[in-house]
Amino acid sequence: MRLLEYQAKRIFQKFGIPVPKATLIRDLADLEQLHYPQILKAQVLAGGRGKAGAIKVANDASSAAEITQNLLDMRVKKEKVHAVLAEQKQDVRQEYYLSLMIDKASAAPLFMTSASGGMDIEEVSRKEPDKILKMPIDPLLGLQSFETRKLAFFLGISAKELTPFVQALFEIYRTYDASLIEINPLARTDLGLLALDAKLVLDEKARFRHETLFAELEEEQNNVGSDDLDPCQKLAKEWDITYVPLTGDLGLVSDGAGTGMLTLDLIEDCGGSAANFCELGGLANADRMEKSLKILALNPKIKTVMVSLIGGLTRMDDMAEGIINFARDNPDRFKLAVRMCGTKAVKGRAMLEELCIKSGEDLVTEVTRAVKLAREAAA
Amino acid sequence: MTILINQDTRVLVQGITGSVGAFQTKIMLEYGTKLVAGVTPSKGGTLFEGIPVFNDVEKAVAETAPNAAICFVPAKFARDAALEVIQTAIPLLVLTTEGVPEKDMLEILAYARIKGTRIVGPDTPGIISPGVSKLGVHPGLMYQKGTVGLVSKSGALSYEVGRVMTAAGIGQTTVVGIGGGPVWGSTQREMVGLFYDDPETQAVVLLGEVGGRMELDAAEFIRTHPGKPVIAMIVGRSAPEGAQMGHAGAIIEGHKGTAQGKIEALKAAGTYIATKPREIPDLLREVGIKA
Repeated sequence: MRLLEYQAKRIFQKFGIPVPKATLIRDLADLEQLHYPQILKAQVLAGGRGKAGAIKVANDASSAAEITQNLLDMRVKKEKVHAVLAEQKQDVRQEYYLSLMIDKASAAPLFMTSASGGMDIEEVSRKEPDKILKMPIDPLLGLQSFETRKLAFFLGISAKELTPFVQALFEIYRTYDASLIEINPLARTDLGLLALDAKLVLDEKARFRHETLFAELEEEQNNVGSDDLDPCQKLAKEWDITYVPLTGDLGLVSDGAGTGMLTLDLIEDCGGSAANFCELGGLANADRMEKSLKILALNPKIKTVMVSLIGGLTRMDDMAEGIINFARDNPDRFKLAVRMCGTKAVKGRAMLEELCIKSGEDLVTEVTRAVKLAREAAA
Repeated sequence: MTILINQDTRVLVQGITGSVGAFQTKIMLEYGTKLVAGVTPSKGGTLFEGIPVFNDVEKAVAETAPNAAICFVPAKFARDAALEVIQTAIPLLVLTTEGVPEKDMLEILAYARIKGTRIVGPDTPGIISPGVSKLGVHPGLMYQKGTVGLVSKSGALSYEVGRVMTAAGIGQTTVVGIGGGPVWGSTQREMVGLFYDDPETQAVVLLGEVGGRMELDAAEFIRTHPGKPVIAMIVGRSAPEGAQMGHAGAIIEGHKGTAQGKIEALKAAGTYIATKPREIPDLLREVGIKA
């Protein structure tokens, strides 16, 4: 789960990381009380806000009101702006980069730091890799003093000054299962080192350890209007079914991620265009099959659905039951192409046959049929 | 021969009385896997399908001498369960659990490195050596004994390809599902290396997907270690950037995780590229594998 800047900074402060004095603007009247100049920042989850024009400087309250209104009305990479954060403008003498992330390659928490802060770190990494220090931490031993010193020496900052930041990042990782914590820039100002921006991503898989925190953060994001999900996505989220919207008109349901991606590729290869990616996981049952079709039914563009089932762990009689339950309640909603093989496939296919739902064992044949049906529906 | 497991593999099942564990244990027994012990805290002293159940792993190891373990424990308790196995230095742990927190996985893998336990997973269908043994949830009917090594991230995709190979009369030495990620105990690169070292394996099929850079590492290994013919298929060619395609690790972040980038690297390394499962048996025949 990605946090908004102000949410991340709230957690930063809790762990002793200094941030500029800031006000979350809920009402334009709030702008009257501030000391100018202020930096006004659109609160969105997307990155690259500076380039997108979502961060502005205001020199007085009246221009601040106009800027705030503009920011609230804009979209950053299609995302609605949730709120505006006003921060005291700082005189910056030097910008650093400091982050801690779960590194998949080394299977360790990885610190990255650079004296070239304030820039796109991936670009620095590509063009001038010497300017970045990457340091994996032993997951069992945790952060050691010599490691903190190494980071400080690399940046040319005293260890005493940098240590609280480094320790705080590691504590946030440990306490909240953060998979990415980034300060960019970490700025040298008249007030000392300050985290001018904050990025924080929490591991969804660790939600069970932080139920209350996740719920609070989500509620806050919803309250300020982050809810950009379409009806299909909303229902899929509620039912905990993997669903990714795409731009085509052929619906897709599969009983595994790998098979689902393969089917998606084959649809494109056959000249079709998928409306979505949806997979039930290895332990799907009749209920989840029916639910997935109900999710797809909310998209009016979908007239044809490709059901791609391999029947490794799933039972095909269960899957057939789910399809039939949907088709009985919604007899003319979709034309279906069903690929069904594996466990109990003979029984499953016989069940579908009774309702005149065509199915086949070969994936490419069924995908070809589905693409043809979708094309006929569009004509 | 096979890799990772063989007819002498003695298996301990964690979570043997849970719903998934119990169901899969029965299927593994039918398949012929030597299951020597089960562990479910507070069910110690009982029998499940004739297999002795213990309260803790240490006691099970002392009394039944397993040399592999499979974990069916839910994500919330998976760290604890895995650490308990690793502490006894059992050399192989198949971690089927999906949704283990990343921090937990880092700790599990770090401890496993110290103790010398190989982890396969998480979120893995496990390992099957057709006709010999299976340590996981691979449906036996999709496979047959043969001379091709198969490694896949996805379970369903390995069934898909196994089924097509088997229908064409081409069997497998061992099939390894390394899991959906996003952090892996065993990599495709390591599995290719094990298949190279196995005298009975004559060719390797590598099934990958979008996200991460594991397939690129495997490609680099294949390029620098020309050994046996490798057939590769990467799925998610049409996946949009930034979307999570079902697996925790299947998300394209920047150019490097795309299917195209991986296919190019694998092609440059000298592997044969398939775009659909049916091409795989054809390519295998081309490199001299007989039905």
